Amino acid sequence: MKFLVPLAACLLVPMAQAAGRGDAASARAAIQARFDAALKADAAALDRLLADDLDYCSYLGTCQTKAQYIGDVTSGVLKYQAIKSTVDSVKLFADTAVALGKVDVTATRNGEPRSLHIAWTAVLAWRDGRWQLTTWSSTSIDPKAK
Amino acid sequence: MKTRCTTLPATFIVVAALMSGSCLAKDNSREAALRSAEVARFQAQVDADGAALGKLLDADLEYSHSNGKLDGKSAFIASIKDGSLDYISLEPTIQSLRLFGDVGVIRGLAKVAVTLDGKTSEFTIGYSDVWLWKDGRWQMTEWRSTRLPDAPAK
Repeated sequence: MKFLVPLAACLLVPMAQAAGRGDAASARAAIQARFDAALKADAAALDRLLADDLDYCSYLGTCQTKAQYIGDVTSGVLKYQAIKSTVDSVKLFADTAVALGKVDVTATRNGEPRSLHIAWTAVLAWRDGRWQLTTWSSTSIDPKAK
Repeated sequence: MKTRCTTLPATFIVVAALMSGSCLAKDNSREAALRSAEVARFQAQVDADGAALGKLLDADLEYSHSNGKLDGKSAFIASIKDGSLDYISLEPTIQSLRLFGDVGVIRGLAKVAVTLDGKTSEFTIGYSDVWLWKDGRWQMTEWRSTRLPDAPAK
């Protein structure tokens, strides 16, 4: 019966997608909402904003699943004190948005304080009538970098 | 009436199976093409092959270097062709490849040996890139990498 899953995805996803699409403004809003939810350690909001197949890669090159990332945020392993973000660009390709930006993060991981300037790339998919983050990759950069 | 009742669902299933089969075959074929394009793109950078890069890179490319510098397509190709960015070797390992419609996202690791502005260095990066299916081929539109810590000496 496993063949029914991709079969259903191929048939139903385009039908659902045709019902409505996100735009660049709503993609930007979803990105900001994700930062806000992370700052508040709001698991319910993160659950809505992050895709189940999220691939979340930190500036250290280590990657986490959705459950692992939310687990770190809600357990306090990763505790954000301040997040200041800018979105530099958003490209829309049908139901996929690709965004670039930068973020200043003050946080603790396992109690150790960190203050970082990060450049990031995010890929969001329009699913179930909202943008969901599917891919996050980032790198720590010089704060003066443009 | 019995015939109609049994025929209609059966017809739907056959049509659905044909549609999904076509969809899945397209995804499998595009996935293989994307892997090939990724390998070809790394090789074109080592070969400083501007013509190949011209086809493999999207006109709206945003190439984010690990130092935060952002290049467009023409600047990136120019730096490779003039030798200011000279890739001696690139050894990629694709860790994941996902398709979202006409968008492909790859994540991987790469061992890099490069001479930048006359200074040669070797390191490993974690990278992700985003590709678009345009004009019947994959074209890379985003690149981001982060330099990984050096492995401890043995």
